[in-house]
Amino acid sequence: MTGVVVRGLAKSYGPVRALQGIDMVVEPGDFAVLLGPSGCGKSTLLNAIAGLDDIDAGSVEIGGVEVTQREPSERGIAMVFQSYALYPTMTVRRNLSFGLRVRSVPKTEIERRVAWVSELLQIGGLLDRKPSQLSGGQRQRVAIGRALVQQAKVFLLDEPLSNLDAKLRSEMRVELKRLHQSLGATIIYVTHDQIEAMTLATRIAVMRAGIIEQYATPDVLYERPATLFVAGFVGSPGMNFLSGSLGRASMPVAKIESDAIPLGSYPFGAPFADGGDVIFGIRPEHVSLADHETRGPVIEAETLFIEPMGADTLGWFQYGSQRLSARLPPQRARGLSGKVRLALDIGQVSLFDPATEQRL
Amino acid sequence: MNAVAAPARIGRFGLYGFLIATALFFAIPLLVVISTSLKSLDEIRDFSIFVPPSTPHLAAWWKAWYAACTGLNCGGVHVGFWNSVRILLPSVTLSVLAGALNGYALSHWRVPGADLILLALLLGAFIPYQVILYPLVKITSTIGIYSSLPGIIAVHILFGLPVMTLLFRNFYSGLPDELVKAARVDGAGFWRIFVSVMLPLSVNILIVATILQTTGIWNDYLLGLIFAGRENQPMTVQLNAIATTSTGEIEYNVNMAAALLTALPPLLVYFASGRFFVRGITAGAVKG
Amino acid sequence: MRIRNLVAKAVLSPTVLVMLVCFYGCAFWTAYLSVTRSALLPNYQFAGVFQYVRLFATPRWNVAWSNMFVFGVLDILGTLSLGVLLAVLIDRQVRFEGAFRTIFLYPLSISFIVTGLTWQWVLSPTIGVQNFVRGLGWSDFVFDWITRPDRAIYTLVFAGVWHQSGLIMAIMLAGLRGIDREIWRATRIEAIPTWRVYLSIVLPMLRPLLVTCVVLIAIAVVKSYDLVVAMTGGGPGYASDLPGKFVVDFAFERANIGQASAAAAVMLGSVLTVLAPYLYVELSRRER
Repeated sequence: MTGVVVRGLAKSYGPVRALQGIDMVVEPGDFAVLLGPSGCGKSTLLNAIAGLDDIDAGSVEIGGVEVTQREPSERGIAMVFQSYALYPTMTVRRNLSFGLRVRSVPKTEIERRVAWVSELLQIGGLLDRKPSQLSGGQRQRVAIGRALVQQAKVFLLDEPLSNLDAKLRSEMRVELKRLHQSLGATIIYVTHDQIEAMTLATRIAVMRAGIIEQYATPDVLYERPATLFVAGFVGSPGMNFLSGSLGRASMPVAKIESDAIPLGSYPFGAPFADGGDVIFGIRPEHVSLADHETRGPVIEAETLFIEPMGADTLGWFQYGSQRLSARLPPQRARGLSGKVRLALDIGQVSLFDPATEQRL
Repeated sequence: MNAVAAPARIGRFGLYGFLIATALFFAIPLLVVISTSLKSLDEIRDFSIFVPPSTPHLAAWWKAWYAACTGLNCGGVHVGFWNSVRILLPSVTLSVLAGALNGYALSHWRVPGADLILLALLLGAFIPYQVILYPLVKITSTIGIYSSLPGIIAVHILFGLPVMTLLFRNFYSGLPDELVKAARVDGAGFWRIFVSVMLPLSVNILIVATILQTTGIWNDYLLGLIFAGRENQPMTVQLNAIATTSTGEIEYNVNMAAALLTALPPLLVYFASGRFFVRGITAGAVKG
Repeated sequence: MRIRNLVAKAVLSPTVLVMLVCFYGCAFWTAYLSVTRSALLPNYQFAGVFQYVRLFATPRWNVAWSNMFVFGVLDILGTLSLGVLLAVLIDRQVRFEGAFRTIFLYPLSISFIVTGLTWQWVLSPTIGVQNFVRGLGWSDFVFDWITRPDRAIYTLVFAGVWHQSGLIMAIMLAGLRGIDREIWRATRIEAIPTWRVYLSIVLPMLRPLLVTCVVLIAIAVVKSYDLVVAMTGGGPGYASDLPGKFVVDFAFERANIGQASAAAAVMLGSVLTVLAPYLYVELSRRER
């Protein structure tokens, strides 16, 4: 198994700095996802790792070997493209075997690999068809098959599921996870869909404007986001952000609206300034209707509207001059109106400095 | 980014070498004609045409323009030049206009059998002149326009109809329906919409069409030979007559000057029009 | 949405009428003449295949007819090879692309008469290549194909390729540039050499465009008139004659309408033979 190490990678397109000093380590067997909105540089980073685009500074190591100067075909990688890039005039079988034949791989070996891939991806029945005769999902699998057949050490996937409809996408997500587990391959995957990232990845690099804001496991990303951007980007429905200021008193409190919310044993990264502004982040599932058993802080808010979402219901509340959402069980949410008391789970709170957007 | 990321030096060298060699293949015939037209007859006799002139002069050009002989007449190609101009201007204007109107009508108005008409036009674009030449002669002489200026103009318009109509039809089909619908709601009719909505958007395609027709009509030989009449012979016909006159010594320099004079107008259009010319020939070729 | 309007139909009617009468009507007229006993004057007495039998017994026609195939095959192969090669080379991101394209395309802006005359002069033994090489010292050098009955037809190929390769280049270059860039990237990852990508992936993807090019050149060959007239005059004798010239000569000079019509009908048949499968494939492909 092979790891990928990226050091100080930088690339600009004229005045636009697409990548600004990227450092990233992908362990062997990792499923690393590059996640971010369009224009954040994730595809640029992937292309740089693949060697398809030149870089202005930095280095790429694959399997411990420095490959920065090497052609894509010499890096031991295989890639799956967003549009699949299957060769339209060739049958599926030829699409799979063409690269191998050009590299003079023995015929028996080619046949063995094609058979293995067909079995693995269930495309055996499609071998004699042309890409135009396949459905989106089938083309997708053939594209993956073409990557697998090269028996590369690292697989790079550039938004491979974005052209599929929602149902197919979730099916293929399961396929990809299964493949990763059975092959134990090292995968670097680009997407803008955070649900995809959260379900597939072993580690996610959240990117924005050419830098990696946080590179961590999905859990850490979700529970302990390092920046405001990561906190807002990951998780759906999104995290609530309330503005306020910090106070010290007998223990740290967050002064929001007219309340002073005790912060208990919040793990501050560094000492904070008394009276400094703060952004108080709490996910909707950590806000609930207070009842007589509630122990933590409670606030009062005015019901705005209820959004039924199937298994859960999202309730929107006016809290002073700010808005807040809470995930509520549907029975209790039904018919909810007027003033309510909401309990906040302080153990799940994230605090951010509004100026630096960093986690406190 | 395409392949050849690490260009093999030799490969690149060979690539440019071939391109330059081919460029020479294309350029040399023209250069040869130019250089020979600037020579005197003695030089042509003594050296081959690939040798540049020792003292270039424009005497041959002068003679070609004013005094070159086609059989009995020695009036020079300027006669043919003006004939070609007189043929060109009405023919181009009318055939482009006809094509635009037809294309517009076929793309935004409900016309029964539109697909059939388009197919008929497509086929018509491929019919060789020779297939309908004699019947056309009969028709035009019956109407009384055979061997006359109106006759050749009519014939050019006729042969321009398929390509022009298809060209404009493809272009107008690419414009959104909403434009015409909105204009209809405002109360505009066929002509109003054409003038106020379509034409302003058509500048590029009009240029392309004009270039295509200008080049085609100026360079035409066969139709001009047959339908224009002796007083209106276009420049190409005159040129060929001059160059194939075999009385006495062949004045190559004059003939070549005449050829250049004939080629000059469309060449100038070509050099001035760049992308439009390319669009014209590719659109004219891939007719729909 | 098409709006019902009489004006549109009115605008199109002249074109439709003219197409029916002049193109299709005249074509049928010619076809009909070809099965009559016409000679100097039209004679509408039915004659079956009389004209055709006579036609194919005429030595000159047989030469012209076989010349069409020889010239056609070589011209198609030549222009296609050169055009595709130039397009591929330019697709490799060369510098001075604009300059190269300008040079390769300019022959399309000049008349076939000018092209024909130019190449006649370049290949002329007296003043052209043969003369030049002999002047350099090789006094035994011979290149007189244009005056040899058995070789004259091949000289037309030089001129044809020179004139039309640019068109093929322009069409194919546009096609090459439309290829999905991700396919190129995929081939880089699979280490497929550039030439192999063109041969096995890109050019097969452009097969419809290549077929279009073949059809265009083929039809131009069938129609050829100006080029032959200017370059060899059909000679020496009728050694480089082509059907296009045969029809015109027999219709006007030799004044045999029957033979001319039969020849023209054969020309039409040739065009239809090339066109029919092409159009059928093209139209059914669009409908899909």
